[in-house]
Amino acid sequence: MSVEIWCIAEHRGGVLDADTLQLLGAARKLGGTAVAVVCAADPAPLAEQLSTSADKVIALRHEALSDFTPGGYAQAIAPLARERQPGAILMLHSHFLGRDLGPLLASRLETGLISDCTELGWDEGLVGWRLVYRRKLLAKQKAAGAPPHMATCQRGAFMPAEASDSPGEIENLEAAIEADSLGWKVLGFEEAEVGDEDITEAEVIVVGGRGVGDQETFDSMRELTKLLGGALASTRPVVDQGWADRGLQIGSSGKTVRPRLYIGMGVSGAIQHVVGMRESDVIVAVNKDARAPIFEYADYGMVADLKEILQRLVEQLREMRG
Amino acid sequence: MRIAVCMKAVVEPEARIELSAAGELQRSELRYELNEYDLYAVEEAIRANEAHDAEVTVVSLGTEDVVQSLRKGLAMGATNAVHIKTDDDLADSAASAAVLAEALRARQPDLVLAGVESDDLGGSQVGVLLAERLGYNCATMTIGVEIPGPDAKEVKVRRELEGGNYLDIEVALPAVLTIQTGINEPRYPTLKGIMASKRKELVEMTPAELGFGQLPAARVETVELSYPPPRELARMLEGGPDEMVAELLRLLREEEKVL
Ligand SMILES: Cc1cc2nc3c(=O)[nH]c(=O)nc-3n(C[C@H](O)[C@H](O)[C@H](O)COP(=O)(O)OP(=O)(O)OC[C@H]3O[C@@H](n4cnc5c(N)ncnc54)[C@H](O)[C@@H]3O)c2cc1C
Ligand SMILES: Nc1ncnc2c1ncn2[C@@H]1O[C@H](COP(=O)(O)O)[C@@H](O)[C@H]1O
Repeated sequence: MSVEIWCIAEHRGGVLDADTLQLLGAARKLGGTAVAVVCAADPAPLAEQLSTSADKVIALRHEALSDFTPGGYAQAIAPLARERQPGAILMLHSHFLGRDLGPLLASRLETGLISDCTELGWDEGLVGWRLVYRRKLLAKQKAAGAPPHMATCQRGAFMPAEASDSPGEIENLEAAIEADSLGWKVLGFEEAEVGDEDITEAEVIVVGGRGVGDQETFDSMRELTKLLGGALASTRPVVDQGWADRGLQIGSSGKTVRPRLYIGMGVSGAIQHVVGMRESDVIVAVNKDARAPIFEYADYGMVADLKEILQRLVEQLREMRG
Repeated sequence: MRIAVCMKAVVEPEARIELSAAGELQRSELRYELNEYDLYAVEEAIRANEAHDAEVTVVSLGTEDVVQSLRKGLAMGATNAVHIKTDDDLADSAASAAVLAEALRARQPDLVLAGVESDDLGGSQVGVLLAERLGYNCATMTIGVEIPGPDAKEVKVRRELEGGNYLDIEVALPAVLTIQTGINEPRYPTLKGIMASKRKELVEMTPAELGFGQLPAARVETVELSYPPPRELARMLEGGPDEMVAELLRLLREEEKVL
């Protein structure tokens, strides 16, 4: 039997995060037995669901696992990982679970964690490839320390595991958890803000990035969106600066859009933005830096000052429309 | 209340990153600046100082490149600064966290703020690893903190999840929080702040003084750096702005049929 790769399932409110299947896909690609590890107060339905794509499911049950807490999950998983020594432990590089649990578990297991991997392999231990220096370089990194080695995987980097005809076996275990060392008390969950206009509905979206430079320039883009019959949206720094409402943000911590036409101005093309727009039909990018990563996702690119392009777009569209 | 803020100097975002023929990073040309996430962390700490009379210590581990960032923290309003001096960038999160933990241990901060990730090497691990070293609670992706008072036993933390959703939690102190951009509007240092910062304490120490005869072994080693495989680029439009825009509108109308 091949080495076990444990994939920590992510779920909230009884709903499985489908990207967990990408971890199982990564585990298969590594040539291992793809084991889904699910922690919950009632893991049975999730375990059953995971068993269709995993070779095996470990379901860890405890009342204290009703919400995700880093302390609860680490107490459930660490002793078992020490005892069984899987080949590697994978989780999503996620805001919800991975960023807290990944380093915590790595610390308790005294092992190395390679963050935000886009590819994985073996080289006397786990190796991972990740983009660094704003995606200008690719680093091949190797986990040191005691196995099992760990990695977090970038969303969308691995193909989800396919469902198989013979469901994987489910092993049910009762976790031992000290309820007063969970780390957090969960108070509540709140849905993202939606702005006055719902950008996810728009057919045409013009996006201002940090390169717009100020509120005035950002606001002036509304003229273009009016002419195009579309919506104005932004990247995160534009929201952070207070130039746009949070409801207008596209990306991993904002909205995911799929318009027929996306025009990005002064947008560098960081992965956290790109995940929210790369499915757009036609992508146009304006950036003064010819090496900006956004051009790798665009259909049409212009290396220019966005103000000059914006002004001409407005003029020429007005003329066109008469 | 005592607050510590971890500040990292990162390679400036617009830097040209070049590799030597041997595949090594050409460091000499690189300039460093304060990690953007940490700027929001300092601001959050200074606000706590203003509200609850907290003492704010800014801490950085690194070469002389970090001093300018620490000075900025002081000019914004931090009480004092600690520079743990190294000859090279410490790329390994576990090693950095181990050294930072020893520097903080004696000060026993109630709250430690770090950035969500460092902009250049971005492992987003140091905050959590540091918390484990200190035996503190920890929460990442913080977009809101409520400190009930100067003797607070716990803080309310708003975490930002995927899709911009929020999770509200309560975290018992002492704790480490990692701060996400947009949590506040960082102030610019005033002239008065800059003048005052010159009289503030900036303690220098070495890892050896903290008990590290040699730096802790890396848990993650970088074995190779390379340029990412080239992707297919956009069709780049040529000419002056007038011509480019005319050509774009023609393409969008006639070929893509989206106008
Ligand atoms: C956990 C997490 C979640 C995140 N979620 C999101 C998210 O949901 N959405 C998001 O967008 N980001 C998100 N980010 C931030 C992301 O990493 C990037 O920092 C961000 O996308 C960069 O935005 P930008 O392209 O506007 O700014 P920058 O990266 O600063 O790029 C500005 C660009 O403008 C160009 N420029 C400057 N002036 C001009 C000019 N006059 N004319 C033309 N071009 C010009 C520059 O060359 C540069 O390429 C997240 C980060 C983290 C860590
Ligand atoms: N060398 C360092 N000195 C001080 N703080 C650091 C250092 N490295 C990382 N940090 C802190 O940890 C955060 C996350 O960094 P990282 O884990 O490298 O992505 C940064 O935003 C800093 O707050």
